[in-house]
Amino acid sequence: MEKHEAAFNALIEQDLKIEPHDWMPDEYRKHLVRQVSQHAHSEVIGMQPEGNWLLRAPSLRSKQVLLAKIQDEGGHGLYLYSVAETLNVSREELITQLHEGKARYSSVFNYPTLNWADIGAIGWLVDGAAIVNQVSLQKTSYGPYSRAMVRICMEESFHQRQGFEIMIHMARGTKEQREMAQDAVNRFWFPALMMFGPHDTDSAHTGNAMKWKIKRESNDYLRQKFIDKTVPQVEFLGLTVPDPNCRLNETTGSYEHSPLDWNEFHDVINGYGPCNTDRLDHHRNVQQENRWVREAAAAYAQKTETVNSSL
Amino acid sequence: MVISIDTNFARLLVRLADTELILAQRLCEMCSRGPFLEEDIALSNLALDLLGRAEELYKLLAETEGKELAADDYVYRRNEREFFCYKLVEQPNTDFAWVIARQYLHDVYAKSVFTRLLQSDNSKLAGLSEKVLKEIRYSLERSKDWMLRLGIGTEESNHRLQFAIDRLFRFVPELFAFDTVDLQYIADTEGLIEEWKMEVSDTLRTANIQEPELKSTHLRDSREGFHTEYLGHLLSEMQFLPRAYPDATW
Amino acid sequence: METGDNIWEVFIQKKPGIAFKHAGSVHGYDKKMAVQNARDAYCRRGEGRELWVVPSASIVSVPMEDADAYFDPQEDKIYRHPTFYQIPAEVKNI
Repeated sequence: MEKHEAAFNALIEQDLKIEPHDWMPDEYRKHLVRQVSQHAHSEVIGMQPEGNWLLRAPSLRSKQVLLAKIQDEGGHGLYLYSVAETLNVSREELITQLHEGKARYSSVFNYPTLNWADIGAIGWLVDGAAIVNQVSLQKTSYGPYSRAMVRICMEESFHQRQGFEIMIHMARGTKEQREMAQDAVNRFWFPALMMFGPHDTDSAHTGNAMKWKIKRESNDYLRQKFIDKTVPQVEFLGLTVPDPNCRLNETTGSYEHSPLDWNEFHDVINGYGPCNTDRLDHHRNVQQENRWVREAAAAYAQKTETVNSSL
Repeated sequence: MVISIDTNFARLLVRLADTELILAQRLCEMCSRGPFLEEDIALSNLALDLLGRAEELYKLLAETEGKELAADDYVYRRNEREFFCYKLVEQPNTDFAWVIARQYLHDVYAKSVFTRLLQSDNSKLAGLSEKVLKEIRYSLERSKDWMLRLGIGTEESNHRLQFAIDRLFRFVPELFAFDTVDLQYIADTEGLIEEWKMEVSDTLRTANIQEPELKSTHLRDSREGFHTEYLGHLLSEMQFLPRAYPDATW
Repeated sequence: METGDNIWEVFIQKKPGIAFKHAGSVHGYDKKMAVQNARDAYCRRGEGRELWVVPSASIVSVPMEDADAYFDPQEDKIYRHPTFYQIPAEVKNI
């Protein structure tokens, strides 16, 4: 046991990766499962707000781009469930926890998408925030998680660009389109900032996660990084950040901002956001309505599968 | 008519394009509604193939017609009676068995049609058909596998698939009601019907599904822009933004 | 896990001639579905020209406790590496 713990600590110390069969502290495993499952559920639930506009995408090009993007989110959910499975937690278990409200997902997906510019804002701000976090997680200490993040970051590199492209069209379009663009920024700015999680001082899980190099940078550090790179983009679009206190601090080179409304954050996290119930009901209903399909596939396999490897 | 279709070749193209587009839109409705995550992703791939195919066909249509219209104009600015997709593909996603049965019946037909279009005098259409046939071969393999899984799987899945096939077979005779436009561009339609029937009968038999009788009718069909009531709702949703904001570009 | 809902490890060959590389895993109820699901999830960007799926349960690995016994004894067999041998500098192509 001590020998194992020393080996584990040495791997972490040297910035090497922990692999599924390596010994790891229970708390390390638990933290990983919680973080990876939350990440996976976010990808999968995140398909819904964007899916809300898929059927109404205003051009053949935008429909294909949006569908490819939503499909990527599903794929990323799949990669992340696979990561959890290497820790001996089944996808089914994780989904049950989601349905029972025991597992969380990013609170930003509990906000509705109310106009087409929201699709731009999600790609640009929400994926933009996610990418800052995910780039950092490529260096996470758990091997399968790190490898999944590398693949995810590579695939997501088009997401933010497609979102920003929509914003450019909207911001440079008709008066109504500009209004939609500003409205989308107004509604998604703060929820995007909250995606980085609570302040470092209030973050229940940060301590060990940093020590074990599961998380590589703190919530507040990453949030500030996102603000600093995004505010100039808002200005480029000729839109405004919905925060009167957002200004560049010449000394630090960083943007200051108003305190975030953590009451709202906690309300949404605790199930009282505008769409929490709908998102979970949708996921649960699809699961239940298609039980017969999965049963059929299982029964068919039982009747027809052979060990022979030819198809 | 807001946008007329003026030549026989354009009529052929618009039927193909509309059919692939409307089926794609139906598959888009399945996004986040698949029976499990992997199937969700697979259905999106299928929809993307169909959307890409439709876009190429509309571009060719726009080029052929030469009216300074873009592919999107054909998608977003025509009304119900100006769409020429087969009724089969506008049918709803009643359950997963409908999704699969509709796809399978379409894929068998599309494979035969695009195989014949390899011989088209129009080199672009011939080239596109070659690309499309690869996509269809994969799609057909998948939809056929699912026909067998659902047909053979459980009593419930067999009943659901039987119901979907019974309902959807009503729209099959229309596929074969070839008019002069079709006959001008699609060779050996007799052979096509034979191929289709043989392939489908064989699959249904293996899947323990009773093959419904194909009743030829003399009703007006989609070649004249005659549809079921489902299409109008699909279009009103799909076309909402360009219709509501005609001055905007996206 | 639901009965029949198995996990399959996915290996992809990117170009002819190079080794198959582990890409991740997918769920599938039968082997045909598994190979199709692997294609649809892992080959969306032209990543592959050939694909294997293997039931995860069929992967055999060295027990963690024995890792040192399996691998450490090889570390001192330096005569297996070409750099162990001294060849005069004027001898070429060896």
